[in-house]
Amino acid sequence: MSFDFDAGKYAAYLWPAFAISAVAFAWMIADSVLTARRWKREAERLQAELDEARP
Amino acid sequence: MDARHTFDFLTNPERFMAFSRWAAPLLGGLSAVAGIAGLVMTFLVPEDYQQGDTVRMMFIHIPAASIAIFIYVCLGVASFLGLVFRQALADLAAQACAPIGAVYTALALVTGSLWGKPMWGTWWVWDARLTSVLVLLLFYLGYMALRGALDDEQKAARAAAILALVGLINLPIVKFSVEWWNTLHQGSSTFFAKRGDGLPAIYAWPAALMGLAYLGAFGALWLVRIRGLVWRRKARGLALKLAETAR
Repeated sequence: MSFDFDAGKYAAYLWPAFAISAVAFAWMIADSVLTARRWKREAERLQAELDEARP
Repeated sequence: MDARHTFDFLTNPERFMAFSRWAAPLLGGLSAVAGIAGLVMTFLVPEDYQQGDTVRMMFIHIPAASIAIFIYVCLGVASFLGLVFRQALADLAAQACAPIGAVYTALALVTGSLWGKPMWGTWWVWDARLTSVLVLLLFYLGYMALRGALDDEQKAARAAAILALVGLINLPIVKFSVEWWNTLHQGSSTFFAKRGDGLPAIYAWPAALMGLAYLGAFGALWLVRIRGLVWRRKARGLALKLAETAR
């Protein structure tokens, strides 16, 4: 058994399908992780500010 | 741990954060391993005698479509728990899974279209399966739009939850459309395949591995997005407290 990357006449359909799927997953991972990190940092910053503001 | 305690465990934000902190990377790692193995097998299996190399499209199209339906079930259950039991974490869970479901559904439609053109000779046809999956995408987009349209978060959550519950009606239509109507789309070739319509054994492994990869990716992304929403809610609460302190 060997790898078959030659999609022949179907390459114009097969590769875009895999490429679009890869881009969609990359976007979902980046968006989910970066958004979660941003809100975590914001909550930590506000907590620190609140701790300072309290007597 | 009985069912009630499992429910309590997952509805307690602090325990959820502790659980998701290790569960999200674990699911992501398992998904990546299954995905790499599935992709290797995708390009190792021989082409189909009828469909040629386009058969490899199946390993990304079927998982996207199946998990898109599963995600909507999660959206419906989380919406129900948020609406009826006023579980704040369930509401966040519903909010978190809608964009993932929308992307999975869009992927199912796009990869299906790219598979349909060489096999059926058309990018799109208004048959029951394709149309009901398009309706599924519209329910996801409608849910997200409704949540974003109302300033009052509680009202937005309630309205969106009702929409999500109404959308559950579409799921059996998606699933059984190929049996209830005469469609261009083929019937099931996996779990609910009729005798003789099932996948050949050689295609079952890459299909199963890619299915696990898509399912694990959803699990990991869902947990990460819920964590983000929990942090956001906490940040907003802290901002209010800070404003009161400054007065």
